[in-house]
Amino acid sequence: MSVSASEQPRRRKIRVLIAKIGLDGHDVGARVVARGLLDAGMEVIYTGLRRTNEEVVRAAIEEDVDWVGVSILSGAHRVLLPKLRKLLNDSGASDVRILAGGIIPQEEIPELQAAGVDKIFLSGTPIAEIADYLVKETKHV
Amino acid sequence: MNLFKPSEMFVSATADSDMALEGKRWRKETYDPAAQGITDRKKFVTDTGIAIEPLYTPAHLEQIGFDYLRDLGFPGEYPFARGDRPGMNRTEPFVVSAYSGFGDAEACNRRFRRLVEIGTEQILVALDLPTQCGYDSDHEMATAEVGNVGVAIDTLADIEILFDGIPANSIKRIGTLGNSIGPIVLALWAALGEKQGIDWSRYTVNLQNDPLKEYIARGTQILPPAPAAKLATDAVAWCVEHAPNWSPMTVCVNHINAGGAGSSMGTAIALSNARHYIDLLLAQGYTIDQVAPLLHMFPDERHDFFVSIANLRALRRIWARMMKETYGATRPEAMACRTTVYGHGQEALAEPLNNITRTAYGTLAYVLGGASYIYLAGYDEAVSTPNENSARVQLRTLQILANEHGFTDTIDPLAGSYFVETLTAQVERQILDGMAQIGSIGGALAAISTGFARRVMTEGAVRRQRAIDSGDRPWVTVNMWPQQPNVPNTAFRGDAKAVERQLARLAQVKATRDAARVKEILAEVDRATAENRNVVPCVLDAVRAYATVGEIVDVWRRRFGGFVPSTDF
Repeated sequence: MSVSASEQPRRRKIRVLIAKIGLDGHDVGARVVARGLLDAGMEVIYTGLRRTNEEVVRAAIEEDVDWVGVSILSGAHRVLLPKLRKLLNDSGASDVRILAGGIIPQEEIPELQAAGVDKIFLSGTPIAEIADYLVKETKHV
Repeated sequence: MNLFKPSEMFVSATADSDMALEGKRWRKETYDPAAQGITDRKKFVTDTGIAIEPLYTPAHLEQIGFDYLRDLGFPGEYPFARGDRPGMNRTEPFVVSAYSGFGDAEACNRRFRRLVEIGTEQILVALDLPTQCGYDSDHEMATAEVGNVGVAIDTLADIEILFDGIPANSIKRIGTLGNSIGPIVLALWAALGEKQGIDWSRYTVNLQNDPLKEYIARGTQILPPAPAAKLATDAVAWCVEHAPNWSPMTVCVNHINAGGAGSSMGTAIALSNARHYIDLLLAQGYTIDQVAPLLHMFPDERHDFFVSIANLRALRRIWARMMKETYGATRPEAMACRTTVYGHGQEALAEPLNNITRTAYGTLAYVLGGASYIYLAGYDEAVSTPNENSARVQLRTLQILANEHGFTDTIDPLAGSYFVETLTAQVERQILDGMAQIGSIGGALAAISTGFARRVMTEGAVRRQRAIDSGDRPWVTVNMWPQQPNVPNTAFRGDAKAVERQLARLAQVKATRDAARVKEILAEVDRATAENRNVVPCVLDAVRAYATVGEIVDVWRRRFGGFVPSTDF
């Protein structure tokens, strides 16, 4: 009996790298999201504070993640997020998708999405909403 | 580890005094029948886990063994529960303070002049992240961060411009956070006085200079914790010798509470950090009577109004007893806990103007609790550095609290309240239990190295998030009458040319200073560090010679190595 692709069991759990890029030291949100996604049954790795884009890309590839979730509250997202997308693509990891969270003005969201950030969750988003999004959007393979 | 045990904190009037029996009778005959069948509209538990009863009576004071003279005393006298100063807000209202900074020194100086014009009595300079983390503006790690969350400071030249036209003694206090670069910011403020021709005794510098909480909550740590704490205490020791009127260290609950610990455990962690700094100074031969008067505490509670008042009162009592009984202080100044606070509420991204109301109430609690130096969060602070309009509202709110409504007419106005005294005793118990717990694992450094503090933080943050998601903690526009959060791009973004100007100024300073002299002094900073001497005298020489913040920090990075970020969550 054949089953459609969407009904096939997932090959593995969803893998997420939660990353802090740059000097922003506020990581409570990042850790709460990491804990929430772990509780939701995903495999979660946290980079710790103050990573460069290069370090994050290396970790994403080594850990073979589906998603990189970046938390930025300092206002540096307009420079750092497009750069992360480019570095992932240049390293052959264009299939790794990017989530961003933190303090990001509404008006800047289209620009970030055009630069290859898949989804932006503002501060205050319930964890369940993020988990649901990842379950729905992660490719079934 | 379960830090959240409301049942244990429930004070029930079990004594069988007449008062207790009457209270029980009221509950049974009058309250319970009326409340029957009505579902609680919320959980009546504070963020710190204390269950709140419908009514407090003299029976609760019996329960806590309330003794006025022992537990409260009088303002300006041991145990300082009613106030650290004799006249408190009646004779001299709290100091109206502003935390501000963005862009480069030139842009920021204009804002500072405006702040002073409209009545700011203290300015705490917000530094950008590269400065706080010890990177110059031209360092790769400074990419996209120069002037973002504060002003960029690379050398003394920036401080000179920042305070151009604002003499160091023209307001009550000046200062900055500089948690991981304490000796450097101290030296910059000392050198500013020299440049302006104002003796150190004629102005007051306040620093946060509390590196230990950075590892727990705030995240600007540079070095491993032990040498970072030692360098911070060098700033205090230098002030004991040269500027005893300054307050070179403010030990913070603020970020620890905000990050998840809750105000009681946050206060316990902060007091344990304070003990670590104090012990380092005593080991160098300073006395508690010399050191303690230079320290400030920075308490914090933003969820529960009455807990905030109780926390301030309990903190002063604990501090006084700790200084007198544990450390043997004899000077009242060493036992009186001076407090700096930063008014917050549960600020939301949706409909940010409501944050004015929230922060005003949060700050009122600090006024009623008797804080000495009060800042206030801007309504747009969750989004960006406050814009000028927001900065004006911040300041006016503080001025209204200080002068209107009679909030400041009498000292410690809620003392004797059955509720507030009970809560003060409960909060005090929570803080002392937390301190004992940290003591049992080996103190402040162990709380960091064993991951204890980090676990407290994450568990607390997860608990708070669940309380919000479930509606247990009511939050208007978030879980009640929810609105779409919105971060408008009218958010203050500063001056686009500021980065260019900053980089140009840094390049010019480097090109025109005496390079050989800088090299020689940096070598001396390294020698003082290696020999475990107080580094401030040679850091001051380095700053005078226009060495950069990054160059000085690099000396310590080479000597001690950097911190290793934890990947636990």
